[in-house]
Amino acid sequence: MELLLQTFLNGVLMAGVYALVATGLALSLGVVGIVNFAHGEFLMLGAYLSYLLFAFCGVDPLLSLGLAFLAAFLVGGLTYRGLIRPVLRAPELNQMLLTFGLSVFLQNLALLLFGADTRVVAPPYQAATLALGPFFLGAVPLGAFLLSLALLLALHAFLTRAPLGLAMRAVAQNRLASGLLGIEAEGVYLLTFGLSAALAGVAGVMLSVMLYASPTVGFLFTLKSFAIVALAGLGNLKGVLPAALVLALAEALVSTYVPGGGGLVEAVFFLVLFLALVGRAWRGA
Amino acid sequence: MRKGLGLLVLLAGLAWAQTSLKVGVILPLSGASAVAGKAALNGIQLAAEEANAGGKVRLELVVVDDGTDPSKAVPAFTKLMTVDKVDIVIGGLASGVTFALSGPVKQYGPLFLVIGAASSVVEQAFEGYPLFFHYHPWDYHNVAAALQFFQYLNREQGAKKVAILYEDGPFGSAGIGVYKQQLEKLGYQVQAEPYKTGSGQFTPILTRFRAFQPDILYWIGYDVDALPIAAQTRQVGLRPKLIYGAPPSWPIGFEKNPLSQDVAGMTAWLPTLSNLESRRFVEAYRKKYGEVTEEYMAPMGYVIVKSLALAAERAGSPDKNRIAEALAGLRLNTPFGPLSFKPSDTGKTRYQGFGPEIWFQFQYIQGTRRPVFPKEKASVPLRYPGEYYLR
Repeated sequence: MELLLQTFLNGVLMAGVYALVATGLALSLGVVGIVNFAHGEFLMLGAYLSYLLFAFCGVDPLLSLGLAFLAAFLVGGLTYRGLIRPVLRAPELNQMLLTFGLSVFLQNLALLLFGADTRVVAPPYQAATLALGPFFLGAVPLGAFLLSLALLLALHAFLTRAPLGLAMRAVAQNRLASGLLGIEAEGVYLLTFGLSAALAGVAGVMLSVMLYASPTVGFLFTLKSFAIVALAGLGNLKGVLPAALVLALAEALVSTYVPGGGGLVEAVFFLVLFLALVGRAWRGA
Repeated sequence: MRKGLGLLVLLAGLAWAQTSLKVGVILPLSGASAVAGKAALNGIQLAAEEANAGGKVRLELVVVDDGTDPSKAVPAFTKLMTVDKVDIVIGGLASGVTFALSGPVKQYGPLFLVIGAASSVVEQAFEGYPLFFHYHPWDYHNVAAALQFFQYLNREQGAKKVAILYEDGPFGSAGIGVYKQQLEKLGYQVQAEPYKTGSGQFTPILTRFRAFQPDILYWIGYDVDALPIAAQTRQVGLRPKLIYGAPPSWPIGFEKNPLSQDVAGMTAWLPTLSNLESRRFVEAYRKKYGEVTEEYMAPMGYVIVKSLALAAERAGSPDKNRIAEALAGLRLNTPFGPLSFKPSDTGKTRYQGFGPEIWFQFQYIQGTRRPVFPKEKASVPLRYPGEYYLR
């Protein structure tokens, strides 16, 4: 029982980071309508920014969070203006190829600038642990989970109360109708894409503390985010957190209880993706 | 005028006496083994520069990247053979890539000086190839050296349980069953779990290990896993007496991270080794690159080129067969200790350079790697139990 509860705790903590990355992806997909394969590279940007600030200026990754948000927002905005906007009306395949190409380009750019080496930061709280009776909670995963939750709640409040957030939802629901009501879709798209990248950038800073910075650090999270977004329903922001929980708990349970389950972690999200797609197909049939 | 003519004749004479070699270098400069590959290239270039400055041999290096990927390595190697037309190739760092090169190497027949490729699958693949010189110890040498350490931990330190985390690719999984058996034969209880490298998710497995209460947490994987394992071990409340890692390279900045304290591993060389050749190498490396490396592939590359240059000088000819003959009879002091070639332990290959004697165990202690075992190579005593404290 103790092992089961600890496994649940491990899964819940991981779900926070998954949800943060996947929310960004769901935003770009739901509002802008772009399948952004380069989403993980915005995460990589945040991770490297955290590493560079820590290694060369001694800046604690916690302080890098705001900067990473702004930097990734800026890069996301520029990416939208320079690359995404011209293909908004192009066939979906072209859009996907473009973002896939951008992903490859950014990974190789990082490879060129930093090499393939894994880089790590060393804040003093990196392995801090809270012991609650027989249960252990890593302070960093807990902090990442709480921060993710706070950001997602703030995003929810923004989308449901702020005029700009309402405009984003309106554009997501019907671009033409929102246009007729005077909502400038271009501006909303720019803001959404920037916000999507910014969320990934913040997640990147967290991952620089929990894992490492490397050119490919975002790749796996992009794949998992696709599974989460598919499970939640394309563009359904409210479903992202529960879907992230399902994925993270499934991974934790398989890893703990299935013999050799640690090697099957990557198979879990493919299974989740597969089941989600098959389930939807059945419901739609 | 006469002086100028004399100088010209002298230069021509020197050039005639000099053995010129075009040497292909195929290394992983990108991909999973890039850290080791770049270190190896630095060592190779340093030694080539020294050899060229010596004046007796002229080495021209043609460098290609194998990308730690067989599908990139084979065309890169073919280019060395057909476009650059080299007769001598230095390379073969990753086992999977070297295995893939066995066919093309046999087809084109160069003198192949192998820097890594420890897997005995490679030994089998090159069985009978007459121009195969393998400098790096084989995997059974690595296992023998590691087991010697585990035997010491069991007998002298009372370690009884080992939890093994191994990545589920060829690097971590090959031979895990045999390894487990051998540890059990030494008297250990062993629990082994695979994991997906780069996933960063160790808490479930480590939580499960908590019930097992291992004395040693042993992970066989890549550099990307080092920090997550060190952090999550503490986060789940696992308290091993030793964290022992066996990655091909360690992450940049890991030594500066307090979580690296007391983490142990195995290497063939460290810049703090006190032998004369090692000190010379460190000095030359620092002079050329302005830094000190801790990657043992750097001196390994250096040793290969040094031995090649010496063999070419003795052979007095760029002919690969004559150089191979000279190389086979070579005795050389190196940063790893003495080098000479003999048949491999299984008898499958004729020219094996180093054996298990070059390996030693180190521990990260206050931001640097220090040799701790065997005692004759140790610069400080092993810290057992290590201080993997909760904060």
